Amino acid sequence: MGDAIAPVRIRKRITTYQISQIVIGIAFIAYVTWRLYTIIVIRHTYGPDTWVKFAISGLIIGSVYALITIGYTLVYAILRMINFAHSEVFMVGSFAGFFVFEGLKNVHLGGAEGIPFIDAFPIPSIILAFAAGIAVSMLTGITLERIAYRPLRGAPRLVPLISAVGASIFLQNAAQLMFGPQRRTFYNLPALDRNLGWTITVASKPVLITYTGVFTFILAIILLVSLYLLVQKTRLGRAMRAVSENKQTAALMGIDVDAIISRTFAISGVLAGSAGVMWGLHYGQIHSYVGFIPGIKAFTAAVLGGIGNIPGAMLGSMLLGLIESLGPGGLGIDFQLKDVIAFSILVLVLIFRPSGILGEVGSQEKL
Amino acid sequence: MTNHMRQGIRSGFVVGFLIIFLILVGAIFIMVKLISGALHITPERTLLAILLLIFLLTGAQFSRVKANNEKLPLQFAIMRAAIAGAMAGLMIGLTTLLIISLQEKGINLRTYLYQLSPNSLTLWAQGLPAAQAAIFHFLLCLITFPLGALLAFVYGRLKLKDRISHWSGSGQAFGNRLILPLSRGIWGKIAIYVILGGLLLFVPMRINDYWNFTLGTVGIYVMMGLGLNIVVGLAGLLDLGYVVFFAVGSYTMALLTAPTPHHILWNFWFVLPIAVGLAAIIGVLLGIPVLRLRGDYLAIVTLGFGEIIRVLLKAEALSGFSNGPRGIPKIGQPVLFGIQFTERTFMYMIILGVILAIFLTIRLQNSKIGRSWIAIREDETVAQAMGINTLKAKLLAFGIGASFAGLGGALFASRSQFTGPDDFTLMISINVLAVVIVGGMGSIPGVIAGAFVLKGLPEILRDLESYRILAFGALLVVMMIYRPQGLIPSTRRRLTMRADKKPEIPEQAPVPPAQGGEKQ
Repeated sequence: MGDAIAPVRIRKRITTYQISQIVIGIAFIAYVTWRLYTIIVIRHTYGPDTWVKFAISGLIIGSVYALITIGYTLVYAILRMINFAHSEVFMVGSFAGFFVFEGLKNVHLGGAEGIPFIDAFPIPSIILAFAAGIAVSMLTGITLERIAYRPLRGAPRLVPLISAVGASIFLQNAAQLMFGPQRRTFYNLPALDRNLGWTITVASKPVLITYTGVFTFILAIILLVSLYLLVQKTRLGRAMRAVSENKQTAALMGIDVDAIISRTFAISGVLAGSAGVMWGLHYGQIHSYVGFIPGIKAFTAAVLGGIGNIPGAMLGSMLLGLIESLGPGGLGIDFQLKDVIAFSILVLVLIFRPSGILGEVGSQEKL
Repeated sequence: MTNHMRQGIRSGFVVGFLIIFLILVGAIFIMVKLISGALHITPERTLLAILLLIFLLTGAQFSRVKANNEKLPLQFAIMRAAIAGAMAGLMIGLTTLLIISLQEKGINLRTYLYQLSPNSLTLWAQGLPAAQAAIFHFLLCLITFPLGALLAFVYGRLKLKDRISHWSGSGQAFGNRLILPLSRGIWGKIAIYVILGGLLLFVPMRINDYWNFTLGTVGIYVMMGLGLNIVVGLAGLLDLGYVVFFAVGSYTMALLTAPTPHHILWNFWFVLPIAVGLAAIIGVLLGIPVLRLRGDYLAIVTLGFGEIIRVLLKAEALSGFSNGPRGIPKIGQPVLFGIQFTERTFMYMIILGVILAIFLTIRLQNSKIGRSWIAIREDETVAQAMGINTLKAKLLAFGIGASFAGLGGALFASRSQFTGPDDFTLMISINVLAVVIVGGMGSIPGVIAGAFVLKGLPEILRDLESYRILAFGALLVVMMIYRPQGLIPSTRRRLTMRADKKPEIPEQAPVPPAQGGEKQ
């Protein structure tokens, strides 16, 4: 009686990797819950005002990361390659902004004893700084693509990656040789002072929201929204998406693939350059290695949100900014170790959801 | 006509940009300093000579440019060169005018542009005032570019080039006739090994401690290069955080033999295998989460690990364990039969380590696992289809590569008797990577040559220290574009690249894909 043919059941094997995944996951969640419980509920280490401060600085740094992250994601979506030198595109932009400020500081209106241009016209000065940062970063991006990546199109994957690493080292050291090893301080505009801002009251304690922070955040959001519209609504954006989908077909449809790639680098340069000037305005200090840490963080954010995915990049960056600024406080670890938290996030994402929160674009091409 | 114009302007722009870049980076002044010091010529003349050489060579390129598979006629070549010269001259002249007049106004340019010291600027201006210097540089470009084109044309007419290439070709043939058969026969092989062994035995005895130390550093780099060669060269996994394993080796040696943080004071010989093993274990542990993913992730995650280890070692919070930023002094020294090791004996030990690494690499390369690494490098999907457990193979590559670095690190720490977080910067990873790539991925002689070129040469050319890393960066890009197989490529890679280099259509991109399966 019964069926002659028993239904074939494929037994699912649980691999060691999955077991270790579960163990790591449980350990991680347990640790975080325990630490958060101790810090917030038992010890009351920080009042609500401090948490608000942390969250605000997280949103600001997150918005700067977002601008850099978009650069990684756009290039990744189109070339399937990590543009290692992107952090240097950012650095170059911040230096351009710095030099514009220094130049305008030395231009005196009405003779040598007149007030400096930068104090007389702060808003045009800021616009000029951004214009210079954007232009220089854009040119760097385009040149980079032309010299270091275009000759390698179609080569094995490792080859452009190494070339990108080389370009990154080259730019870093060129900047250090040119501008010297010391840290540079951005001119603190009286109109947009780094230390001034609005004060709000949280739990009857004052919390300062700096003008530069708000400025950075709003400008970043505007840029991100316009980028999203550019990619979704314009002809260029459509061409970019087509190239990202399939280069050969796009070429057959009459799209100039090389030009689109070049423009993608230009767009990421624009965003990175403005991020660089924002960094200078808000944090004040730049040096030739300023791009390194934000660069890796931005990459982490790109992976967190799903690399190649634009909304994912924005979400990932904001999330990473928040985690990074709330994390050391919440877990009660030394603030020096905030970079370690960011990278642990990267490793955890890679273990549990390598495609990121919002998933990866073009995942069928994954090897 | 417009074509000549555009080409000329473009080339001129590139040359002008390059020269301005060299000025801003200060490279040109260092070159002048070195050459004028060596040849006892005044710096002004040396600068002029260097510039003339660069411009003449660029000009010469124009007579070699081919349009429609035909050489440009002389008048067009000269015209192009003149346009390029004008463009470059304009750029250089304007820059000169700007910087020299700023300096004459009394602004200290060094506060912004680090390399432009007053001395260098006077040298660049040849002692002339701003306007004259600018005109001088403009005219220099304008005249030398066409001159170069003309000279190259004359040179081509005289067929000098063919004769020279004939001579160099015969030199190579001579080498092939003599050296290659020697290395093929059994006696030849023995002879080569005997000579090599003798050299390795006697050279450390004949040179002083400084050179033993320097060559020891080269040896440690060879060791690490061979380790990274397994990871990058054989298995094709780009690891940018190789310094992690170096640090693990060093710190294991330091923590277990030094008196300061823990006072464990174990014997060097006992700790050495622990350091190597621990590095291998850390390699596998770090590999597990990332090796399942694509190579690009691996690169950036390992970069992150490399940064984490430095932050962790430097953190005050952990200084109870690792001594924090102060580092660990008085690391244990090896003692063998009651003999305390000196730089010289250490050199022998490093040589032994290198020989061990070479032996292991050779054995691994030709084993089953080595072939599966190469298969993974060439095409992971196909390798998997061939029944290779790719994850296991990659983990093995990572672990073995890490153990080489662990060995290097342990020897490094014990030799210098001090280790601290600042020994483990990103630059170490980059240096080792450059050693592997410049030498030739997957090739043992390549790695050795790479280590000598990249770690040994800078010791001789101390003045160029600050330009070394800059040159590494440029070298990585240039190598990838023109010679991705490295200086001394492995046979397999050389053959693959050569097969690729035969394009069916002459106007194709320089490097067609070596992988068959990857989608574009």
